[in-house]
Amino acid sequence: MRGFVAHRLGLAAVTLAGMSIVIFVLLRIAPGSIVDLLFSSAGYVDPAEKQQITHELLLDRPIPVQYAQWAGALLHGDLGKSYRYGLPAARLIGPRVPITVELAVMGMAVALLVGLPTGIVSATRQNTAADYGLRIFSLAGLSMPAFWLGMLIILMLVRVFGWIPPMLYVPVRENPGLHLMQFLFPALAVGYRSAALINRMTRSSMLEVLREDYVRTGRAKGLAGRVVVYRHALRNALLPVVTVVGTEFAFLIGGLVVTETVFNLPGVARFLVEAILWRDYPVVQNLVMLIAIVVVLSNLAVDLLYARLDPRVRYT
Amino acid sequence: MMTQHASLRWIVSAALAGILAASSAWAAAPVPKSGGVLNAMHREDPPSLSIIEEATVSVNWGVMPCYNNLVMFDPAKSQETPQAIIGDLAEKWEWRDAGKTLAFTLHRGVRWHDGRPFSSADVKYTFDLIREAPGMSVKLRLNPRKLWYSQIQAIDTPDPATVIFRLKRPQPALLMMMASGYSPVYPAHIPPTELRTRCVGTGPYKLREYRPGELIEYVRNPDYFVKGRPYLDGIRFIIIKERGTRIAALQAGRLDIMMPQEGSKNAGEQLKKAVPSMIITLASHDINTNLLMNFKRAPFTDARVRRALSLAIDRRGFIQAVRQGAALMGASLMPRPWGAWGLGPSALAALPGNGDGAAQKTEARRLLAEAGFGPAKPLRVTLSTRGIALYVDMATYVIDQFKQVGVAATLDQVESAVWFAKLARGDYELGANQTGMGADDPDVTFYENYACGSQRNYSQYCNPEVDRMFDAQSQEPDQTKRQAMVAEIQKRLELDAARPIFAWDLDYFAMWPYVHGFVPHNNVYNNGRLQDVWMSK
Repeated sequence: MRGFVAHRLGLAAVTLAGMSIVIFVLLRIAPGSIVDLLFSSAGYVDPAEKQQITHELLLDRPIPVQYAQWAGALLHGDLGKSYRYGLPAARLIGPRVPITVELAVMGMAVALLVGLPTGIVSATRQNTAADYGLRIFSLAGLSMPAFWLGMLIILMLVRVFGWIPPMLYVPVRENPGLHLMQFLFPALAVGYRSAALINRMTRSSMLEVLREDYVRTGRAKGLAGRVVVYRHALRNALLPVVTVVGTEFAFLIGGLVVTETVFNLPGVARFLVEAILWRDYPVVQNLVMLIAIVVVLSNLAVDLLYARLDPRVRYT
Repeated sequence: MMTQHASLRWIVSAALAGILAASSAWAAAPVPKSGGVLNAMHREDPPSLSIIEEATVSVNWGVMPCYNNLVMFDPAKSQETPQAIIGDLAEKWEWRDAGKTLAFTLHRGVRWHDGRPFSSADVKYTFDLIREAPGMSVKLRLNPRKLWYSQIQAIDTPDPATVIFRLKRPQPALLMMMASGYSPVYPAHIPPTELRTRCVGTGPYKLREYRPGELIEYVRNPDYFVKGRPYLDGIRFIIIKERGTRIAALQAGRLDIMMPQEGSKNAGEQLKKAVPSMIITLASHDINTNLLMNFKRAPFTDARVRRALSLAIDRRGFIQAVRQGAALMGASLMPRPWGAWGLGPSALAALPGNGDGAAQKTEARRLLAEAGFGPAKPLRVTLSTRGIALYVDMATYVIDQFKQVGVAATLDQVESAVWFAKLARGDYELGANQTGMGADDPDVTFYENYACGSQRNYSQYCNPEVDRMFDAQSQEPDQTKRQAMVAEIQKRLELDAARPIFAWDLDYFAMWPYVHGFVPHNNVYNNGRLQDVWMSK
């Protein structure tokens, strides 16, 4: 097991190093730069001034030199300075990470609380009215973009209650109730899609397992239906669901852009898009690297969970 | 459906009613009450906090409360004219030497937010910085309005409370530019680079916190030199990127006041329906929609082609189809009743694109045939625009109009990041564009957008004769004579298709009835000081 973990960590390091090069190069070959954008906001361009700012931001150096500087600083924990704000990137990114993580965790909690039970019900009552209803529910969730659902929620709240969550972030220590309300609705918006996916995966996996010989044997031995489903079938049916949960969580971390924008939550996802639009390289590079790390670690966690859930799985 | 004339009549009546209502509301307003924090809408992070270095309302609306100008437009008057200019840091001023000298007497006892005393040296420093006067050791990173102050020869400061501007030639419009929200006075003791991320002004509010992407927060300046102002304890500019969320937040009371330029017709109507007590005021932006033609590229070097393309675009149709009626026809200066210099209906009717649509399209086809283009050899062009819905909508309309006269246009959507760089390089054929004016004044409009060699003259139109006309009107002290000269120039620019104007947009500005002391102006850039705003809730 230790060997497996060490091997996977080594692979993760190589993946991240490769990612860093891809991120760095892709950003620089995209048309336009922060310098163009600075002039764009001022509505004019002066070539001499442009050259001077390019020099000030060290963007006139060869790309390999720029990369070496960034990678070296990153290894020392220095995230550099935002081109746009002139502030340390760590100061800008730091407070936003917990917000996105909290939203992703709450969204995933919603997804699991809704997706798992409904998936089990759907499978155990296959082709009944409940199953049909839940299948429609899950199909709707897969078809509905989170931003659209988010906007519907906002409009519904303002129309029916004349109320929407606060537009400024409320820290939990300041007002726990308001903090929860601020995250609950976006969590519902993002969690619905993942819930639908988990529902479908649980249903199909459960249906497969429920037809296995050992389940039939259990029932023939007189075990209660509940025991068969929850103690024997569910554990095995969860394996593919765990994979989905892992990838969905990684997806949520990077894919909350629109939900954060609709609910005006100052998380990293929204900030990343802003930074990309402004070609704020230090912020973008570090944020994308952060997301890459989350994806790699999520995958590792999923692999490790496999062994815990299915004793037949052994790592060498 | 309303006819186009009825629609125009409605807009003009609504405008006049709005102006009257705003003025009478101001006059009949109850006694102002101190206290409260205003939650103001903001649509995006400003590119920086340095007003002088930027050219977007996102900076002015959000940073103006921190600063003062020498003079400003009276916040209580919706139309910004020379008569609406009042003192700000300047107590009084006087033109001397046949309009070649402008002397200001400054308020005494004014202090910067860091406690340092304000003096005439700060005023000299600011305007020398913008005009890049010889001997200045510091330089702005971006300087979009250097041209505004190019007629200043020298600035004298005989004592801490007196500033004297000596001009190369008379320029009555100088005060209009100084009153613009783009002309705050900066502290000489703080490098301009620092003012991109913080703000040290003399204004009614002190910056408390700037959280990028979230919030710009101010608190009352207790040492403000205008006694009894500001009324509010503070202002929070809450940045909300999503348009639907911004409107919902205003409707739900999370915001008290809209950001200028954010009130579309749909939003205004939706808010009024949902909250009948919400105050919706029709106002102008001083922003126009226009077509750029690259004068350096064939076939736009041919005046007949340029005229034909301008004729092909039916302005009335544009206003109805693209702006849902919430815009006005006009030439290069803001149309009346919002602006002071716009052409009247009869003069406008004679200009390309403003007359009978069918007849103008026939004329366009004839001109194109004369220039060698027709069904056998159609003119093929590329129309570039920013990849933003507002721009793409207008470009789509233009392409359709061109198609009706046999011109095949391809849409080239350009990312905002490279839009101005592309225009400045002249790397385009046609461009669907928007242009905002820092003040409703011919000098601001003409020199920036039409003068030979100007950096923002993206079409590269250059006519020395017209340049001389710009200079002549700029020096004319008689307002009536200047009006006539400006009208002639506007006609000339439209006939030359220097930058054909489609329409001037209107704003449905919204605020809650408990917000007082804010009158939307005819220009979005100049009314963000908010020192007279108070709340009755």
